[in-house]
Amino acid sequence: MNRLLQHREITIALSIVVVCIVASIAWPSVFPTFGNLSQLFLNISIETIVACGMMILLISGAFDLSVGSVVALSGGITAYLLYHQGMFPLPAIGLGVATAAVIGLVNGYLVAYVGINPMIQTLAMMGIVRGAAMMVSGSGIQNLHTDFTVLGQTKLMGFQSPVWIMLAIVLLLHALVSRHVFFRQYYFIGSNEKAAMLSGIRVKRLKLISFVLVSVLAGIAGVLLAARMGAALGTSGRGMELRVITAAILGGASLLGGTGRVLGALLGTIFMGLISNVLIIARVSGYWQDVVLGVILIAAVWLDLTLKKQSAKSLTKVIIKK
Amino acid sequence: MTSKDRTTEVLTLQRICKSFPGVKALDGVSLGFCSGTVHAICGENGAGKSTLMKILAGNYRPDGGRIVLNGIPVTIKDPRHAQALGISIVYQERSLANQLSVAENIYVCNQPTTRLGLRRRAILRGNAIDLLTRLNLDLSPDEPVRNLAPGMQQMVEIAKALSQQPDILILDEPTASISETETRSLFALIGRLRRDGVAILYISHRMAEIFEIADVVSVLKDGRLNGTFPIAGLTEDRLVRSMVGRSLPERAYERRRLGNTVLEVNGLSAKRFSEVSFSLRQGEIVGMAGLVGAGRTELAYAIFGVERAESGTVWIDGMLADSAHPADAMRKGIAYVPEERKERGLFLGMSLQDNLLSANQRGVARQGFIQRSLAKRIADRMMARLRVKAVGGDQEIGELSGGNQQKVILAKWLLTNPKILIVDEPTHGIDVGAKAEIHALLKSIAGEGCAILVISSELPELLGVSDRILVMREGRLVHEIDGREATEEHIMAHAAGTGKKGNNGLV
Repeated sequence: MNRLLQHREITIALSIVVVCIVASIAWPSVFPTFGNLSQLFLNISIETIVACGMMILLISGAFDLSVGSVVALSGGITAYLLYHQGMFPLPAIGLGVATAAVIGLVNGYLVAYVGINPMIQTLAMMGIVRGAAMMVSGSGIQNLHTDFTVLGQTKLMGFQSPVWIMLAIVLLLHALVSRHVFFRQYYFIGSNEKAAMLSGIRVKRLKLISFVLVSVLAGIAGVLLAARMGAALGTSGRGMELRVITAAILGGASLLGGTGRVLGALLGTIFMGLISNVLIIARVSGYWQDVVLGVILIAAVWLDLTLKKQSAKSLTKVIIKK
Repeated sequence: MTSKDRTTEVLTLQRICKSFPGVKALDGVSLGFCSGTVHAICGENGAGKSTLMKILAGNYRPDGGRIVLNGIPVTIKDPRHAQALGISIVYQERSLANQLSVAENIYVCNQPTTRLGLRRRAILRGNAIDLLTRLNLDLSPDEPVRNLAPGMQQMVEIAKALSQQPDILILDEPTASISETETRSLFALIGRLRRDGVAILYISHRMAEIFEIADVVSVLKDGRLNGTFPIAGLTEDRLVRSMVGRSLPERAYERRRLGNTVLEVNGLSAKRFSEVSFSLRQGEIVGMAGLVGAGRTELAYAIFGVERAESGTVWIDGMLADSAHPADAMRKGIAYVPEERKERGLFLGMSLQDNLLSANQRGVARQGFIQRSLAKRIADRMMARLRVKAVGGDQEIGELSGGNQQKVILAKWLLTNPKILIVDEPTHGIDVGAKAEIHALLKSIAGEGCAILVISSELPELLGVSDRILVMREGRLVHEIDGREATEEHIMAHAAGTGKKGNNGLV
């Protein structure tokens, strides 16, 4: 049991179940409805796409603070090209995501090859890209054409399209990260970078790729967000970087690297979405959401550390007995 | 040399013992140190020198024995306490704050402060100038330490140690990283301190230095005191014999059949080594001896593609092999087991199986996807072959003993089917049983046609496994000898630089 609880993925899944049961009993007519469930998933879909990329970065021992700004810029560029340049949706989306890729390339190059600390690099990039997004979108580009918004507003089997896109990305990345030779290398980098290099893993190149990947995912998220809202705002995605990191850590990642799975990132965002959903149903002020989530994050990591210490102690006992 | 008649014994060690899991680092060592005397302590790597030093510095507590300081038995609680007792130490690794000035570094532990705890710059600076003048050091107290040459930084370390006005100064390999001229001024300083009556413990491998600066030399071997000799009347030969002379373990020697030359290194040079040339043949085990810092690991790094060589070539099977990354070297059939297992070899927190497959994930994958059952089968097979003692493949690697961890790392590299295997300090810090198993394993790998280069600071190990032994000193390959003819004395003499002048050229 103790051993099981050490996997934060399992504790978070259990917590989700518990919260769901409690909420179903408390608000039987509001919470456990298909409409509410569908809404919850829609709310988390866009952040989850970014969280998947962040999970891969965290596994390798890095993180990216510029993703929230990238969401705004890629959506902004796509909207700008559609609205002001009259471009077709596909090339506009392509250019929006390509911009995101270039930002990831710059981040990755400067972190992996030049050696700038990821925190400083992506913090600076967060500001730069946010500024650019404000310049592109200004106070917002609205009334985007339905040719484009169809991407974010179609329903299939009761769920909106961003949910399906999110699920596809989660499943694909989960399979790749847990079993594909290429992505598995990130665990080795996160566990011991030096040993990884001495085992023939091209650490720098892989780091560069992971920054590009998370940026591209943020770019896709930004386009989807613009399509869903039919508008692009310079302020969208603000604070998303920290929420996404929180979700990934709740789902089993560590800032030290080497642990976590993509499915855990989804569990993390589901849990966070669930908490805000419940608090909204309970008519608690929105400000409390941040407080509650902060407390939960600390509690989760605290629990983790305590359990690890206990198991270390019991392990020593076993060894001594032998 | 000054007369020793009127010196008094300030520090006495009585039957000091210290054990670590699996190793007896010090076994009943008794020593006396006198004021105004330079007392050299020498011995091979692992003889117990640094343990002894760390006990005196208060980093370790001895398990048994007494430390008597000026006639009073003391227990050294921690490094601060050691300083308070008048024992100062200069470690081999520098511990200076590079951004801060010379004066601030010297008084980092006892800065003159006002009652509010604010620094008093003028007093700090004045004290530093006094001290530097007294030591006859031409240094500005305001200079940031990062601007100084390594030798001068060493002097700052010594000044820092002396700022406590110690009665006993311990110097650990103080010349390891400084130039010849810097060594000169260091020796001049040591001479002045000796005249001032400081007892100096001088830890070094280097024969020439010991004979130049020391008054007395004590030899440690395998944690025991092998004798204390006055320098007068001692010969280098006798000292070396005392350092390494021991009953040799039985050398069961079987000649393997050697095949073609697989590795040829030609005039390889980089920052820490120059003009190194040697070759390896299939089925051959070549040992590489040398003192710590002789450039052996750097050489291995260049061959394995970790760091680029500045000049020279590496040939594998007659083809030029210029590796820019370990991945390139691995593709050409080189495997490298690094020293410092924890820092460079292990993926702690990951499973035994993950560690085992970390260099060759593709070997258990189809279309890039890892086949779990295949991975488990291969891991189980390797664990059985190398007799790794573990609960199972999914046990965390950190829970294994050092010997078993090392076996896993070896197994990991065997899975890449190397033609050339370089092992760097393969049995460092592991117990005797596992050591023997790893030696047997190396021989059986060579028996299958792999060429092996064993880098080791443990001479019995090299003598036990090598067909041929190369000796490196200060970045140069200085000697080569057949494994059957080599003796510890012979190798040590070349590694430490007392070998006959005629042998000092390239082999």
